[in-house]
Parts: sequence; structure tokens; C-alpha cells
Amino acid sequence: MLILFQLAFILFSLIAIAHVVRHWRDHLFQLGGTIAWVLFWVLADLSVLWPTTTTVVANAFGIGRGADFILYLAIAGIFAVLFRLYVKIERVQRDVTTVVRDRAIQDRAKKDTL
Amino acid sequence: MFLALVPAYNEARHISSVVRNLLPHVDRVVVIDDGSSDKTASEAISGGALVISHDINRGQGASLETGHHYARSINADFVLHFDGDGQFDVEDIAGAHDALTSANADILFGSRFLDDRSTLPWAKRFVIMPIARHINRVVSGLPLRDAHNGFRILNRRALDVVRMTQDGMAHATEIPSLVKKYHLRYIEFPVKVTYHEFGQGVRGGFRILKDLFFGMFIHTP
Repeated sequence: MLILFQLAFILFSLIAIAHVVRHWRDHLFQLGGTIAWVLFWVLADLSVLWPTTTTVVANAFGIGRGADFILYLAIAGIFAVLFRLYVKIERVQRDVTTVVRDRAIQDRAKKDTL
Repeated sequence: MFLALVPAYNEARHISSVVRNLLPHVDRVVVIDDGSSDKTASEAISGGALVISHDINRGQGASLETGHHYARSINADFVLHFDGDGQFDVEDIAGAHDALTSANADILFGSRFLDDRSTLPWAKRFVIMPIARHINRVVSGLPLRDAHNGFRILNRRALDVVRMTQDGMAHATEIPSLVKKYHLRYIEFPVKVTYHEFGQGVRGGFRILKDLFFGMFIHTP
């Protein structure tokens, strides 16, 4: 059962890596981001093939189980992504306001000159 | 030139009378129609206002800043912030303007707590306002007695530097923080507020905090 899951996961990660590389070739990803993603999937593969290694890392951080360690990391990562997303939305909102304002002022100026 | 800036979102019911009442007290009334779906713009025009229209709703702070842009473009000497729902009393304007100029101040903040003309709901006076006042004091650094009062008068110096980036209600905290940042001279002045609706409530308060928090991470040129 475990072997099947490992196979499926590795297959999935290979597809993901191919995707990342294709994005890099199409200039959609920068080199740094590409390396980070490939590294992420390779590390994920390693931890799936040898699950005990994550426990060793977890223990170094004072956490008992490797799976818990990954879960904590994932939650922290999700928080970070959400935060960045929120800031980005806020920035887009302000850009929208700038566009709406410029248009409103221009319309007013046109009416004033008529 | 003394300009009244009235941000309005779906205020067709009140806006015409607000504009008519304002006209004898200022040189020009500018209504910023914030993407209203009702007849706010045409009602404001029929009342005698000059209307600037946002295509879509952007919030009260965004509307006021649009008004500021316009005021700067025509070199206005003073601008008055005045709510479009008729909660303020135009009789306060002349006195406020006199107080601002005689005190040689740059900006005037209206306050409901300097006299007893305003009747606030109990919860608002004793629970929400004290909390809002403290948060405002901590965030902006200005010890205003009335945290979020929409009645303000700015002179040209204040108009030049008070550039709001907060589109929503958080602009009411942003303005005092800009006053502190640019060392503007400010005074508080008693104004009367008549409530038609309860106001922002606790959820609105949390939204302001959220806006202020995320606003800290956005670089503004």
C-alpha cells in the first residue's frame, strides 16, 4: 500500500517538476523560483521514499514526529502566502481607486471646459 | 475659495437638501458621487452642487481624496469635509471656519464631546467611542477627543500634505496621523451630530483595524 502511494506521489512530483521547468523555459518563472520549486519537490520525494528522515529533522526542532513537523511547516507556509495575497489585493484595490479617480477628475475637467 | 466636499453613496434622499443647506455657508459645494446606483448625482446637481462621479464604489476615504485632488487643481483655500446624509449642522460651519483662522491652525476636527448638543446611543458613547479613541490615539499619535468625526476643515497647507491612501473608513485615523507626521497645527471644535443610522458598529471597527494593518505593508510613493 505504501509502495503504491510512493509511486503515485513520485509520478505526481515529476509532472509538477516538468511543469515548473516548462514555465521557466517560457519565461514565466525566474531562475530562483524554478530552483526553489524543484528543490521543494525533490525534498518531498526524499521524505516520501524515506519517511524516517523527516522525523530526524523534526527531532532537531524538538518536534516528535516528522509528519507533525511537515504539518506545522505547511500551516506557516499557508499563512505566509495568505498574507502576501492580502497585501497584493490591497495594492490592486488602491490601483483601481487611482484609475477611477483619474477618470472622474478628467470627466469633471471636460465638463468644466465646455 | 472655500469648498465643501461631500462624499455620497446612495444618498438621493438627503443629498439635495444637504447641498442647498450648505450653499449659503461656502463658495462651492462638490459632491463626490461614489458609484451610487440611485439618483444621488442628479439630486446633487438639482441642489446646486458640482458633481464628480466615481464609476464604481471606492469608499469614503477614496471619495474625499478625489475631492482633495479637485480642490488642489482649482487652488482652493479651504476645504470642508461634510457628510452627505445630513447628520451635521451647517450652522457650525461659520464658527468653525472663524475658529480655524483665528487660531492660525491648519486643520479643524469636529467633536461631538465638547458640548452636549449631540445625543449618542448609550453603547456608542460609553463602549465603542472610548475604545475607538484609544486605538486612534495609539495608531495616529494625536489625542483627539472624537475619534471618527467626519466634520473637518483644512487650509491649503493641510490640503497639500493630507493625501489619503485609505479608501475605506480608516482614512479617519490616517488623517490625524498625517497631521502629526507633517506637524500641522490642529484644533478641535464642538459640532452637533444628529443620528439617522447607528454608524459603523463593531464589524466596521475591525475592518478599519484590518485596513490600517495591511496598509502598513504597502509602499506609497
